[in-house]
Amino acid sequence: MLETRNLDKSFGAVHVTRDVSLKLERGERRVILGPNGAGKTTLFNQLVGELTPDSGTVNLAGEDVTALPVAKRARQGLSRSYQKNTLFDGLTVEENLGLAAAIHTGNATTLWSDSLGKAEVREIVKDVANQVDLMPFLHAKVSQISYGVRRQLEVGVALATRPLVLLMDEPTSGVGPEMAKGFHDLLNNLPRDLTLLIIEHDMDLAFDVADTITVLNYGEVVFDGLPDAARGSDLLKEIYLGSWEDA
Amino acid sequence: MTTDLGFWTLQALNALQLSMLLFLLSVGLTVIFGLMHFVNLAHGALYALGAYFAASFAAIWGYWAAFLLAPVAVAGVGVLLYSGFIQRMRKSGPMAQVLVTFGLIFVLLDLTRIVWGDLPLAIEVPAMLGGRLAFLGVEYPTYRLFIIVLGLVVLAGLAFVLGRTQIGAMIRAGVDNDEMAACLGINVERLFFCVFCVGCALAGLAGAVAAPLLSVSPDMGLQILIPTLIVIVIGGLGSLKGAVAGSLIYGFVQTFGAVLAPQLSSVLIYALLAAVLVIKPVGLFPAKG
Amino acid sequence: MFHHTPFRYAALVLLASGALFQAFTAQYFGLEILTEILILAMLVLALDMVAGFGGMVSLCHGALMGVGAYGYAVLSTTAGLTPPVAMAAAVGITAGISWVIGAICSRSHGIYFIMATLAFGQMAYSYVFEAPIFGGDDGLGGIERLDLSFIGVDLNDTRTFALFCLVTLAAMYGLAVMILRSGLGRSFSGVMHNEQRMRALGLTVWRIKADVFGLSGMIAGVAGVLAAQHIMYISPGLMAWTVSGEALVVVILGGLGTLVGPLVGAAVFVVLKHELSSLTTYWHLIVGVILIGVVMSRANGIFGFIENSFAARSKTTEINPKAMEVTKDA
Repeated sequence: MLETRNLDKSFGAVHVTRDVSLKLERGERRVILGPNGAGKTTLFNQLVGELTPDSGTVNLAGEDVTALPVAKRARQGLSRSYQKNTLFDGLTVEENLGLAAAIHTGNATTLWSDSLGKAEVREIVKDVANQVDLMPFLHAKVSQISYGVRRQLEVGVALATRPLVLLMDEPTSGVGPEMAKGFHDLLNNLPRDLTLLIIEHDMDLAFDVADTITVLNYGEVVFDGLPDAARGSDLLKEIYLGSWEDA
Repeated sequence: MTTDLGFWTLQALNALQLSMLLFLLSVGLTVIFGLMHFVNLAHGALYALGAYFAASFAAIWGYWAAFLLAPVAVAGVGVLLYSGFIQRMRKSGPMAQVLVTFGLIFVLLDLTRIVWGDLPLAIEVPAMLGGRLAFLGVEYPTYRLFIIVLGLVVLAGLAFVLGRTQIGAMIRAGVDNDEMAACLGINVERLFFCVFCVGCALAGLAGAVAAPLLSVSPDMGLQILIPTLIVIVIGGLGSLKGAVAGSLIYGFVQTFGAVLAPQLSSVLIYALLAAVLVIKPVGLFPAKG
Repeated sequence: MFHHTPFRYAALVLLASGALFQAFTAQYFGLEILTEILILAMLVLALDMVAGFGGMVSLCHGALMGVGAYGYAVLSTTAGLTPPVAMAAAVGITAGISWVIGAICSRSHGIYFIMATLAFGQMAYSYVFEAPIFGGDDGLGGIERLDLSFIGVDLNDTRTFALFCLVTLAAMYGLAVMILRSGLGRSFSGVMHNEQRMRALGLTVWRIKADVFGLSGMIAGVAGVLAAQHIMYISPGLMAWTVSGEALVVVILGGLGTLVGPLVGAAVFVVLKHELSSLTTYWHLIVGVILIGVVMSRANGIFGFIENSFAARSKTTEINPKAMEVTKDA
C-alpha cells in the first residue's frame, strides 16, 4: 500500500534520512520508534510531500507519487495528523471535520451550496466523530475543548478525508499515560483495512497497536520486524532505551 | 538608436545616481524590516521631511549645514515616531503596521503642508558642486556625481559596520533570530531603537540630497514610496545586499527602459517585480532563507 | 465563514432605510454623495471578502475597479458596444484579470502579498496612464449610462441612478454572502485559518484563492462600471494605489471580516471626507489620526466595536474573534 525505496535527505551537512526503505501492506499497522532527532517527522514530511527527498521514491497504492505535490497525494488517499495540533482554531469541531470531508467528497469548491449541508459530508462527519469519540463536542469551538480532545480531533480531521493510509505523528504527544491508553484503544477500533503508520515515543504503548515495528536511529532503519522480536532485541534496547533515558 | 558611447555612459550615470538615491532610502527601511519585522510606509514621508528641513536650514545657514542637520532633525522625528507608535505596534501583524503607517503618511503630509505651505520650495546646488565635470568622456553634473559618491560611501560604511564591527554582529544576530539575540545578552530594544533612528536619518539624508534636484513638494514622499518598496521587495527584505541589488535593478531598468522602450518603461519595472515575486516570493537576497 | 446575527440584520435594515430615505428626500448634492457612498461600499465589500475572510489583504482593488471602469468606457465608446454588453464584458474582464492576479499572488503571504498586489495595481495604473487608447493623463469622457427606458427607468436622472446603485449594491451584498457561505467560501476561510492543513487534506489552495479573488474582482468590476457611469468621465487617478489604500482604510474603519462593517465604514468615510474638506483643506490629517486611533485601539473598526460591546452586554450572540486575529497576524 505504501512503499518507500532508498529515501535520502540531507540538510546541509546533517543527514536526516539515510536510505530508508519501508513497505506497508494494506491494513498493516506499523509503529515507528526512535529517539528524538532520529528523523521520524522528516520521514513523514517526505512521505506526504511537504519535503522533497534528495533521492529515492515513494509509492502509494502501486503508483509512484514522489513527484506529486502534497494536495494531490492527499487526494490519492494519503492523510496525516501532526505532532503539534494543526486545527482550524476559530471553528467548531463539526466545521473542522466538515472542511476535510468536503475536500474528500468534492464539495470544497462548490459555489452554489454549502458543503457542510451536503448529506455525504454530514455522514462522514458523524462517522468520524463516532470513531474518535467527538460526538459530545461537535458544536464546541476548538478553543473550548481540552487539549486531549483536540488531539482526538487532530486525528479525526485526518480521518475525515477517508484515507487509504493514515500517518500519525505522535498522536498521544502531550497527553497523560491514562489518556494515551484510551487513545490506543481508539486506534485499535479503527477499520482494519486502513493502513496506519504511527510515530510513537512510548515503547509500551507502541506495542498496544503495532503489527510491525520500525526503529529509526540517526535517520537509518536499524530494526524492521515484529513487535516480539523488537522487544527482545538488544540493539533496540541499546539505541532506543539508552537515548530514552537521556531524554 | 544611437551608438554614441557617451550617450550610454550618460544614461548609466543617470541610472547609478537614481540607484544610489534609492539605496539611501531603502537600506534603512529594509534593515528596520529585517530586524523588527516592521513595515514603515511613512519612510517616504520622512524623506520628504528631510527635503523640507534641508530647504529651511539651507535658507538660513547654507547648503552644507542643511546637509548635516536635516538627517539629525529627521532622526529626531524618528525618535518621536518610535516612542509614539512604532514601539507599540511591534507585535502587531503587517496589516496593522501598514495601516498605522499609512495613517502617518496622511498626517505627516498635511503637517508639512501646514508648516511649509503648498507651494514647492527650491534649494540651490552648493557652489562647490555646481557645474559639470568631465568624466569617462562625458560632461556630467558635479552634483549628481556627488550623489553617486555619497551613496557608495554610505554603502561602504554600512558594509563595514554590519560586517566588521561588534554592533554589526549584533544587528546580524538580531535579524537572524531576535529571541536568540536577546538570550545572548544583546539589548534588542535599544538596538532596534538605534537602527530605526539611523534608518530615519538616512531617509532624511536622501531627502536633503535630492532636494536640489527636484522641487520640494508635499507629495514627494508619496512619489518615492512605491519605488522604494519595489527596491526592497525585489532585493529581498532585511538584507544590505538586497537593498543594493534592488536599487541597481530599479535604477537601471527605469532609466534604460525609458530610453529603449518608452511605451513600456513604466510597466516594465512592475512586471519585473511581479516576475520576481512569482519566481522567488521572498525576493532575490532575503535576510533569511 | 460569515454568519448573519440579529444584530447584523438590524444594522443592514438600518443602513438600507437610511439609504432609501436619503434617495427619496435628498437634493442633487445629497444624491451625489449617496451614490458615491454606494459605489465605495461595493468596492470595500469586495475587499472585505478577500481580506477579512481569506487574509488576502489586497492593495490592487482600486486598480481592479479602474479596470472595470476603463473596460466599460472603452468598450462602450471606442468599441461601440451597447451598454449592457459592454458592462458584462467589462465585469468579465475584471474578474478574469483578478483571477490571474489572485493565482499568481496565492503563494505570497503577509507583507509580500500586500506588495505583490500593489505591484499589479501599479502596473495597470501605469499602463492606463501611458496607453493612448485609454486617453492617458486626460482620461476618457462621453461615457453613457445604461439605458433602462424600456422598463420606464431613466438612469440619467440622479435620483434614479442612486436607487439603481442601491439595488446593485444589495445584489452584490447578497452575492458576497452567498459566496462566503458556499463550500468555496468555507474552504477559503479554512485556508485563512490554516493553509498548511488544508493542503495536507488535499485542497488545491491556489485555486481556491484565485477563484474567490476573481469573484471579489468581479464585484470590484461592477463598482468600476457604476463609477464610470456615475461621473461619465474617468481618469487614471481612479486606479492610483492610494485608492486601494483608502479602500483598505474604509474596511478597517468599518470592521474587517464583518461584511456589514465596511458598508458603515464607506458611509462614514464619504460623509467625513465631505464635511471635513468643507471645513479644512487638511482633512487627510484628521482621517489619518482617526485611522491610527482605530488601529491602535485594537477595536475591530466602528461596527466591530459596537457589535462586540453589544454582544458583551447581551452575551447571547457570539462574535467571531477571528477578524481581529487577522488584523494582528495577516
